[in-house]
Amino acid sequence: MMQFTDLLLHPERFFAAAGAGEPNLRVPALIALCGAVVSGILGYLMSEIYAEMFSAAAGAGIGAFLGIIAGISAFLGFLFIWWLVFAGVFFVISIPMEGKGPFTRTLANVGYGLVPMVIGSVLTLALSFLYLPRVHVTMPRNLQDPAALTQAMTGIMQDPIMREFTMVSSAISILFLIWSANIWIFGIRQARELTIRNAVITVILPVAVYVAYMAYTLIAGVPAVSGGI
Amino acid sequence: MRLAVVLTILLAILLALPIEAADLDQSTAAQVTVTSVTLDPEVFMEGDFGTITVEVTNTGTGSVAIRRVTLYDNEIQTLSQSYDTTMYIGGGNKMSFTFTVKADVPEGIYYPVLSVDFRDAGYLRYPVKMQVQNEPLEVALLDKPDTFSAGKKDMVEILVGNPRDNAVNGVTVYPKGDGIAATPTSYFIGMLAPDASRAVSFAVTPSRSTELELHVDYKNGINSHSEVIRIPMELGESKKQADPLLSNILVVYEAGIYSITGDVNNAGLEDANAVVITSGSGVTPTDPYQSYVVGSLKPDDFASFEITFTASNVTRVPVVTSFKDKDGNLFTRETVIEIPAASPSSAGQDTGSTLMVGILVVVLAAVIGGVVLYSWRKR
Repeated sequence: MMQFTDLLLHPERFFAAAGAGEPNLRVPALIALCGAVVSGILGYLMSEIYAEMFSAAAGAGIGAFLGIIAGISAFLGFLFIWWLVFAGVFFVISIPMEGKGPFTRTLANVGYGLVPMVIGSVLTLALSFLYLPRVHVTMPRNLQDPAALTQAMTGIMQDPIMREFTMVSSAISILFLIWSANIWIFGIRQARELTIRNAVITVILPVAVYVAYMAYTLIAGVPAVSGGI
Repeated sequence: MRLAVVLTILLAILLALPIEAADLDQSTAAQVTVTSVTLDPEVFMEGDFGTITVEVTNTGTGSVAIRRVTLYDNEIQTLSQSYDTTMYIGGGNKMSFTFTVKADVPEGIYYPVLSVDFRDAGYLRYPVKMQVQNEPLEVALLDKPDTFSAGKKDMVEILVGNPRDNAVNGVTVYPKGDGIAATPTSYFIGMLAPDASRAVSFAVTPSRSTELELHVDYKNGINSHSEVIRIPMELGESKKQADPLLSNILVVYEAGIYSITGDVNNAGLEDANAVVITSGSGVTPTDPYQSYVVGSLKPDDFASFEITFTASNVTRVPVVTSFKDKDGNLFTRETVIEIPAASPSSAGQDTGSTLMVGILVVVLAAVIGGVVLYSWRKR
């Protein structure tokens, strides 16, 4: 019986135990699905702000439609970006480092490493209930005018509450990503039979790029593609 | 016997002489005729005073003695005296006789008779045609605004027509009324020929609801007459007046300052000059846009605006749009716009929750850092 406390506190021991048998994707998939569902809910809540803006001009139907689209996008975004894409990137980077082992084991170990990010998503979702109702939605002066629409959307992004929420959620995202990266290092090492040094390089490289990208968007004020967290 | 014959002949001659002289006077008097009749005014109105001038001409060669000239009628009053002094009108000469009359009679055509009493040869009687017509000048309102506004100058145009058979003179039009300023103060038309008309315009500025009187004074001969039309001036909102409307309103709250942006459209039919937009009571206008000067807006024209202000415990803000018409009269419109509340208590609550979230992030960073460190130490 695998212990989740080991996964979070002693990931090397956890993956050493998990690596004994054949890779099983059921639990990692369940973890990724949990994260995707939380991200989907968060995406839906975020879209409600814009839906309110569009509903005033185009009716309530457009708001519900936007919410569903945003929810599905965030759900799929979490699944693909954080699980499949990151597993693929780790797998590819580890190839020149004489990485061995099947992709399914990399996929499984990356899935286990998503547990901190799921916790971070839940925390962000809880904070969204605190922040989002306070965001002031400015109605666009003319929905047919792209400039007015952009101005209204920028107005929402520039709202002090929205800016604070963006900063807090980004900080939480980065913190829990670092925690996940820590787990991934040991997971990739075990899955690809790498040295600890090569495993660190494999994981830190894409994660650092992503963190740098998030930091840039946070400072520049450009909406980041966070995949829901 | 011869003497008796001579005496008889002389007697016959003496008896025949007066008869021949009387025949001669009769034929001479017959050559005196009326050659001209002038009435002033040409057509009287009931109650008018005037004169009738008759010119007689002696078309013969010998002079004719006139003992008396009179004008009389049962209805038309002749106010002046008859010409009672004997006078002579020489051959080929003319002589005028003027009588003052008063037409104190109803409308119609009258024939007062001119009577010339020749001293030696009977009378000349001549009926003079005199028309009495009570038709006054017609005054018609050509144009006026549907609604008058206090302090706003509007044009009122009237048409003065002369339906009479004679010309009238000294026609003067002037406006009158309490609380009304008008330019020009009067308009002199002068003579108005029969069936002629003249349009006259006045710029009228009322200060309250009142009645505008447009007087038309004129003279028929020496008689003054007057016509007047009254135009009620109920103050209201002009249908053509500039009407600035606010639309595309966008409210932004940032750093304690509300900003309202939008468009102001002139939905009226006249120019709106010196359009200024500012926030009304209940809020405090603040920089950078305490008020926004849009300038002039033609009908169907629009312009963008932005105003900034601070407010607390207020959800509805009156936005005041002021503008002037071409005469400089100031008008204001108030549009109430809803804004999100930003009370000091909620600001304090925001600060508190922000602090808590900040502490949470710091604690999370410490915990995660500790966990990562722990996982490496206790491998």
